[in-house]
Amino acid sequence: MKVLIVDDSGTMRTIQRRCLNMLGINEVAEAEDGVQALDLFERANFDIILSDWNMPNMDGLTLLKEIRQRDANIPVIMITTEAERARVVTAIQAGVSDYLIKPFTPDVLKEKMERWVTIPS
Amino acid sequence: MSTVTRDCSELTSSCINPVLSATKSVFEAMLGCTPIRKGIALKDSSRPRYEISAVIGITGRANGTIAVSLKASTAMEVLYRLVGIQADEMNAEVCDAVGELTNIIVGNAKAKMEELQLSISIPNIITSSGHNVHYPSKVHPICIEFDSEIGPFTIEVGFAPEQS
Repeated sequence: MKVLIVDDSGTMRTIQRRCLNMLGINEVAEAEDGVQALDLFERANFDIILSDWNMPNMDGLTLLKEIRQRDANIPVIMITTEAERARVVTAIQAGVSDYLIKPFTPDVLKEKMERWVTIPS
Repeated sequence: MSTVTRDCSELTSSCINPVLSATKSVFEAMLGCTPIRKGIALKDSSRPRYEISAVIGITGRANGTIAVSLKASTAMEVLYRLVGIQADEMNAEVCDAVGELTNIIVGNAKAKMEELQLSISIPNIITSSGHNVHYPSKVHPICIEFDSEIGPFTIEVGFAPEQS
C-alpha cells in the first residue's frame, strides 16, 4: 500500500503520516503542493492520495482535476478545513472520492480509506 | 458607556463567539486539553500579549482583526502535542504547527461566521516579542485570556461596523 500525502503544512503531513503508520502503512510519500504531487504521481504508482485543498502553487482542486485527466480510478480523499456545502459539491463534481474535515481522528481516516482500499492488517 | 461603544461591544461579542467555540473544540480534539477562560480586558495597545500570534482578518458586516496569541512555551507544546517534536526555541516547525492549528480553528468557525455575513481569512503567523497587530481605527481591542494544560494564550479582537 503506497499513499501520497499532499499538504503545505509539514505539521499536517506528519500527523497524517503518523496516522498511516498506526494503521500499518509505511510506504508514504509527501508533497507540499499540487505541483510536487503531480510530479510524484507521474513518477510512481500510488494506491490512494490524501490531499489538502488550500495550497500555494497548485491547490487541491486543480490537482484533483489534473489527476482525473490522467487516472479516473485512483482514490483521492480531500482532507481540508473547507466544510461548506458548495465546496464539497465542487469537489464531488471534480471527481473526489471522499471528503474529510479537519480535525479528524485516525479511526475516521481509516474508515474513509477502507471504502476505497484494503488496509493491511 | 456610549452607544457607539456598546454597539461595538455587542458586535464584537457576536462576531467572536464562533471563533471561541471553534477554539475550544479544536483544542480538545487536536491537543487533548480544554482551554479555560480566565478573564476579559480592554486593551490600550495593539501589541498582542505573547510572542507568537495568528492574525485573522474579518470582513463583511463588520471589519476587524482577531489575533490568537500564544506564549512561546504554549506554542512549543502545541508542536509537541500535534507531532511529538520537542522544540526548545521558536522555529519554523513551531510556527507551522500554530498556523495549522489556527487554520483548523478558522475552518471550523467559517460556516457560523458566514451565517453572520462575515468572511474570515486564512491566519498569518507573526512572531517576535513586541509585534503589533492592526485594528480598525478608533477601535479598542478586547483581550480574552485563557489558560490550559499546555499553557496560557489570548484571543484579542477588535471590530468596527461596516462603513455604509
